[in-house]
Amino acid sequence: MSLHNRIAVLRAEKKLSRARLASSVGVNPQTIGFLERGDYTPSLELAFKIAEHFGLPVEAVFSPRPFRTLSEQVYKLHKREA
Amino acid sequence: MVVNVSDANNNVKKERSWFWKKIGFWLVSAKSGTLGPEEWAKVRKMSRSGKNRRTRRLFALLWVPVVAFEIAVSLRVVRVDPWAGLMSAAWLVVLMGLTVRALRIGFAQVSLEDRALMDYGAEFDALKEKQRGEIFQRAVRDGLFGRVKVDEHEAEQRLRAQGDAYRLLAPALIVFVAGYWAVCLLGPFQAARGALAVTAVVVTWLAALVLAAPTMIRMWTQPDEPGETAAVAE
Repeated sequence: MSLHNRIAVLRAEKKLSRARLASSVGVNPQTIGFLERGDYTPSLELAFKIAEHFGLPVEAVFSPRPFRTLSEQVYKLHKREA
Repeated sequence: MVVNVSDANNNVKKERSWFWKKIGFWLVSAKSGTLGPEEWAKVRKMSRSGKNRRTRRLFALLWVPVVAFEIAVSLRVVRVDPWAGLMSAAWLVVLMGLTVRALRIGFAQVSLEDRALMDYGAEFDALKEKQRGEIFQRAVRDGLFGRVKVDEHEAEQRLRAQGDAYRLLAPALIVFVAGYWAVCLLGPFQAARGALAVTAVVVTWLAALVLAAPTMIRMWTQPDEPGETAAVAE
């Protein structure tokens, strides 16, 4: 089963390099690249470490279903408010 | 390393020698402050090439004729002198082992660009010459002595590759054993047939041991199966 993740978005948001994230969760920078590209499904331990690094629950970073895009979420929010 | 070069107007200017530009810089490139932009570009290109799937596949394809050549050399030498054949085969196996080791290290090596970000928090191009030299020195040292981090992704890739290799090896072994028996029983060597059949039995059992090994290892290492707890029994 492929696991979707928001690592690239979260990294961009925090202006965090792959290398820095990698060193703080204890993997090689190329592993972060493989994760972002969806070429590698992390172990539970690594998934929790990454989520912890961003201060988010693990389900906010990883999901078995594709994440909705930001625009999709904003439109839905607008519809709900209207 | 620096030679005087005269241009059309007889102006003498200092320039790197041909040897330095082509080969020499690889030998002393770890010394900081010695590389120009052209040499750095080559170093970085080489460092990136190992990360490229096309280059790796090309290398893997080249591997087949190289191994075939090595086997041919050993076979030729062993006919002249069995001991020299053994030495030749051992030497080639050592060379192959070192190459495989270097490739495995290369997979886990962090690129120069990532090293720049990790060590200095800046792009490689933005670093001073001394810092670039230090990064390259470390990369070379790590590559030679195998001081690379094998993280969970790397470990999983290795395990998967070993599993794939075994899946290829298992049927190949069966075909090899069948072929070996066919040659032993049907080949034109009446006098040596008995001795060959003994080696065929040994080869068969070696193959059987290799094929059964994963299951045997699992038999040995798998923990006890936990039963259902009484609290949830229907």
